[in-house]
Amino acid sequence: MNNNFTFTGSQRTLTFALMAIGLLALLFGVFTSPEGTHQARVWSNILHNTAFFMGIAFISTFLIACKISAYSGWHTNFKRILEAFSMFLPIGLLLVLIIVAGLWTGSHHLYHWAADGITDPNSANYDSIIDGKSKLLNPIMYTVGTLGIIGLWTFFAFKFRSLSVSEDKDDHGVGKHEGSSYWRSSKVWAAIFLPVGGFLSPFVILWLIMSIDSHWYSTMFFWYTSASWLVTAVAFTILFIIYLKSLGHLQQVSDEHLHDLGKYLFGFSVFWTYLWFSQFMLIWYANVGEETIYFHTRTRQFPVLFYGNLIMNFALPFLILVANSTKRMYGIMTFMAVLLIFGHWIDFFQMIKPGVYEGLHHHSHDHGDGHGSIIDLDGKPVNVSKYQKDGEPVLVQNDHGHDHKDGKTHNHDHDHGDGKAHNHDHGDGHHHAGDGHDHEGKDAHGHDHGAHDAHGKDKGHDHGHGEHAAHGHDDGHHGGGHGDHGAGGFEMGYHLPGFIEIGMFLGFLGLFLYVVFTALSRASLIPVNDTYHDESTHHHV
Amino acid sequence: MAKDIIFGLYNDEEHLMAAVDKANEAGLDIWNVYTPFPVHGLDPKLGLSESRLHIAGFVFGMMGTLTAFLGMTWIFTRDWPIIFGGKPYWSVPAFIPITFELTVLFASIGMVVVFYTVCGLGPGVTNPVLDDRITDDKFCLAFDANGLSDSELDKYRDFLNGTRHIAEVHLKSI
Repeated sequence: MNNNFTFTGSQRTLTFALMAIGLLALLFGVFTSPEGTHQARVWSNILHNTAFFMGIAFISTFLIACKISAYSGWHTNFKRILEAFSMFLPIGLLLVLIIVAGLWTGSHHLYHWAADGITDPNSANYDSIIDGKSKLLNPIMYTVGTLGIIGLWTFFAFKFRSLSVSEDKDDHGVGKHEGSSYWRSSKVWAAIFLPVGGFLSPFVILWLIMSIDSHWYSTMFFWYTSASWLVTAVAFTILFIIYLKSLGHLQQVSDEHLHDLGKYLFGFSVFWTYLWFSQFMLIWYANVGEETIYFHTRTRQFPVLFYGNLIMNFALPFLILVANSTKRMYGIMTFMAVLLIFGHWIDFFQMIKPGVYEGLHHHSHDHGDGHGSIIDLDGKPVNVSKYQKDGEPVLVQNDHGHDHKDGKTHNHDHDHGDGKAHNHDHGDGHHHAGDGHDHEGKDAHGHDHGAHDAHGKDKGHDHGHGEHAAHGHDDGHHGGGHGDHGAGGFEMGYHLPGFIEIGMFLGFLGLFLYVVFTALSRASLIPVNDTYHDESTHHHV
Repeated sequence: MAKDIIFGLYNDEEHLMAAVDKANEAGLDIWNVYTPFPVHGLDPKLGLSESRLHIAGFVFGMMGTLTAFLGMTWIFTRDWPIIFGGKPYWSVPAFIPITFELTVLFASIGMVVVFYTVCGLGPGVTNPVLDDRITDDKFCLAFDANGLSDSELDKYRDFLNGTRHIAEVHLKSI
């Protein structure tokens, strides 16, 4: 039985070829970047893939710690694969360092909270909401936080790895009932790492991903992102097991292990969906504008990403993996693993790109009249600040006496003065026809934010109430215009991944594979001295 | 009608598994195996095909999904439309939790009913038990001894006594 993996020349060629593709895509992206975008497309790709692969490495470390703490034995025969994934963490740290460097040098404008004068009350750029969050969202906290936390994780990843590998070389203590000294030591480190990893991961996710939508906040987002990483890590584990078995390694990893990993894939996909839906429904139901805008943007302007995400990461794995037999078929499991890796890569894509896209268009039209663009119609929170120079909270910011609870308040604000027919005599509760609200043909649009599909064109709006969405729910057929209303429309690299995105993904994948293959080749594939090696070999579903 | 069963009791599932292997090698026809808890890997050794109970679960679950979703759709759009929180009448996200609940409810109740029906369990049914301890800490390997001659019976008895770690061998009419 071949217990040692060799990183062969052809595998090296493959990983370098992937990295070369990535580099070419990056260079192509840099040179074809439109003026004034600060390379947003390339930078957001770097951020996207960094968050994706660094997260896989982190969640693998977390899984290792979970399994040690739970005295889990069944996974022992493939635990070297998870350890190899965790060895990507130092590379992830370097990649985050690149993003941090870009932040300090102003090379990218991914984070709106880092814009000039955003926390300066005297600046035209002032944004009171971001100012309120500036204790967390500032370059120093970002730098110290992300690098510090990922550095800490890296330390733990190396700790688990070295304890596990040392156990191979020295069989001192093997056979004792309580396990080897290395295993006992790793139990202590695992118990420390679980809270460290668990409680600190939200901050990394917050800084790296969530702060792109600077005004938006969701407490479920961290769980949701972690679940995405978890599914991806399990999918990669399955792919590596199948690949290594095809090379004649890991013969002790059987269909039984694959079946249980299939259950993981199924279970964590459902867990991901649960979090996805909980986040969506809470925000949809509460209909607080600053939160709703996040989903409004995605459902209206990025419907393919938004719904495709659900189909790939919930509907397909649920229907295909629900049966017992499919989890033991190598072909189906390979297909599902590839699908879910791509699906969750798309999931991260739709977490990051819409915010970057909006930021881009915000910046570009910021110097124009600021009216009539998609951003305004969507009541994008960053624009709120434009009309909010007095620094009052947004929710009571309008001076009409109508208490709109959401971002659409601002639409009314900047409609004033454009000569349109709808002056809202708010407060008197009178009804007026929705038809009066046409901005540039985008009928009824300023009114139905937050209440998806609650188009009120034909119904009239009762502004005496706080809830707009109450109107016109019986599917008024609104005229054209909204949905994917204008302002740039479809843009490759934001609405869908283009060649640059796919190319850079392959590049990062090559880097990831290179690190994993290297780590796999440095230790025996089966940890024969592990306390639970025997249990794992005789594992049954 | 009474049925004669010859069975051996073991104290550990590993011993039972070894005995099952040995019986298979000897070409003996195992009547049944009783264990206090599910033993992993036993089903394939006994040549049992995969349970079809989960198919019933899926069908009932789907019935629950459709009942909830179509039911709420009809109620909230046709029968008695009410505006809740300014949402559309047909508010799919609001239907999801109840759809989920009814899916689970229908699937679980449906599977229990199917299971009891297939097993012939229910009120008023008596089920003879070979030995009370097989619901506690004993593992039982049983052979059909109906109408066997004494010499044939001895063959089974010798086999059971020849397996490792055998605790007891009994002949019982149930």
